[in-house]
Amino acid sequence: MAPPDDARSVVTANQTTSRPGQSGYHSPFQPVANSLNRVTETPFFFAREDARLFGILHLPAGTAKPLAFVMSHPFGEEKLWSHRVFVSCARALAAHGHAVLRFDYFGAGDSSGLSADASLESHREDLRAAIGALEQRAPAIEQIGLIGLRMGATFAALLAESNVSPRLAGAPLVLWDPILDGDAYFQELLRSNLSTQLAVYGKVVDNREVLTARIRAGGSVNVDGYEIGKGLLDSCGVSTLLTTDAKRHAGPALIVQIAATEAQKERAELKALAASYGQGTLARAAEQPFWREIKPFYPRASQLQELTLRWLDEVTGAPAVAPLETAASGG
Amino acid sequence: MQQPGDVSAVTFTSSEGNTLFGTLHLPAQVREDLPVIVLLSPGVKMRVGPGRLYVPLTDSLVEMGYRVFRFDFYGLGDSSGELQETMLADVYNNIEVGRYVADSRSAIQWLRQNTGAKKFILGGLCGGAITALLTAEREPDVEGLLSLGMTVTLASNAATPAKYLTRQQLDSRRQGYYRRLLQPMSWWRLLTFQSEYGVIWRSMKRLIIKEKPIAQAAPVAATAEQRGNANPLFPPAFFAFLKRGGRALMLFSEKDRLQSEYEEKFAAPFAEQLQPYLPQLQQHIVAEANHVLSFTPWQKEMVAVSRGWLQSLHGAK
Repeated sequence: MAPPDDARSVVTANQTTSRPGQSGYHSPFQPVANSLNRVTETPFFFAREDARLFGILHLPAGTAKPLAFVMSHPFGEEKLWSHRVFVSCARALAAHGHAVLRFDYFGAGDSSGLSADASLESHREDLRAAIGALEQRAPAIEQIGLIGLRMGATFAALLAESNVSPRLAGAPLVLWDPILDGDAYFQELLRSNLSTQLAVYGKVVDNREVLTARIRAGGSVNVDGYEIGKGLLDSCGVSTLLTTDAKRHAGPALIVQIAATEAQKERAELKALAASYGQGTLARAAEQPFWREIKPFYPRASQLQELTLRWLDEVTGAPAVAPLETAASGG
Repeated sequence: MQQPGDVSAVTFTSSEGNTLFGTLHLPAQVREDLPVIVLLSPGVKMRVGPGRLYVPLTDSLVEMGYRVFRFDFYGLGDSSGELQETMLADVYNNIEVGRYVADSRSAIQWLRQNTGAKKFILGGLCGGAITALLTAEREPDVEGLLSLGMTVTLASNAATPAKYLTRQQLDSRRQGYYRRLLQPMSWWRLLTFQSEYGVIWRSMKRLIIKEKPIAQAAPVAATAEQRGNANPLFPPAFFAFLKRGGRALMLFSEKDRLQSEYEEKFAAPFAEQLQPYLPQLQQHIVAEANHVLSFTPWQKEMVAVSRGWLQSLHGAK
């Protein structure tokens, strides 16, 4: 099919599709009003060069606040495990008056492409395209904040350092458990491949050195169904992926250390990261690692969500909110 | 990378009043004579499946001329609704007893109204497969099941896993213990009460009482105790579907418990009843594959076998 473009994926009152009007098979789609909090949710595809990216726009009832958000999901299977936490948070933000765009990176979710062809650059361009899609669909907004988890937080932090949109400058930046050391992160991912090898072959056939060499040579290695290629490893698998050098981002930044218990010690590198922002704050949230398989069902990270919303209210000068409806953190 | 055909983001309202989100994938040339294939979400993963398993499958089926529909069940993915369970095993268990049949039937109804489809093939991995079967039992227009790792047991009973392990699983566990005999960490776990003593005992007991390990080619029915976690809804639904002429691809992963559970807890004990329907079933085991077919060669084999099965049904290429 021809690559979709923004003109083809404009949301209309009745339909959203990458190629509207081509046939009679499209949904009689209506933006959906979430009955619980009167949030309108609109799924659509948008273009980034020849890639087709999937997004969902959450809009509050009535006039949206001038501050909107783009949410940046983590890499690989972490995205699927944390998906419902993102949905819950987006709905809470929208119920709070903010427009929110969630989207799938190239090679993830419903977007086109393969993870093997992704790189830091492709993620950066995807995030830029998502910001553009939000600006197009909610033109009245004045600022766009970024909220990311794990590697998605890192991508958000890196993009915030560039002047891709005047709406990003001075806007809040929320980093949930960001990845600073990309090398250590990818070594951890490769460990998952070793676990699969152990389970299937009863032994490790290819160790991490072999796997890394394979990728560096232009091949790919599978981690939980996602192929990691040279472009991604070379660009993101570095120990200095997100440094603690002084940042250019002028807006407030919230770095959240997520740990299973509140008693966990403050992580020095996250403290240093927070200090690298002119208006950085480090906070801790007691949550299970909901981005991987755990025994509890985790549709909402209540404490993380609540502290994020409260911090946003503080930095935007919004009136304090009543405690959000919460489920137990573990469930 | 270009994906074949066209895709639309859609929403529809289920019979229970929830708003469900999905994607409808259309080939460049729609063949009205072919059924619509609906891929049902497994477990709590959303409509792309674990490791995006459904994405290459969808692309390949669209390339053959099929219309493919994927959507999120209520309380999961992008859809509305909230689940009340606090533990994953309980979510899985409720899926296995048909929680999402109503949503799946709503999807079929929506497809009837919006694509004109008259016939359907339901597919999915694990929880998606059992949901497909339980839906097919109630929807006569479902002519085929594209089953990836059908589960014939109930997950909540996994609180006492040792009781329900099949012979094949026990043999596999015992081999694993042998391999770890020289690992200090294994001994540490054993001596600090972290090991699964019930599983260790049952796997070793099979040697002590001179019970021969079963041959791969000739599965033996599980004992009544081992069948204690069997899903009572599976046999009647499966036979009802077969009785009316339904066809099924039963694809399993070799290194997945679901394969031995299907053999020992269903196929062997129901062998006589199953016999007349064997021509309607195609069984395939992906060698060495794990539950979610995570490695790319396993995915490719799954896609190729699915294509071949559909080709045998409809001649689509």
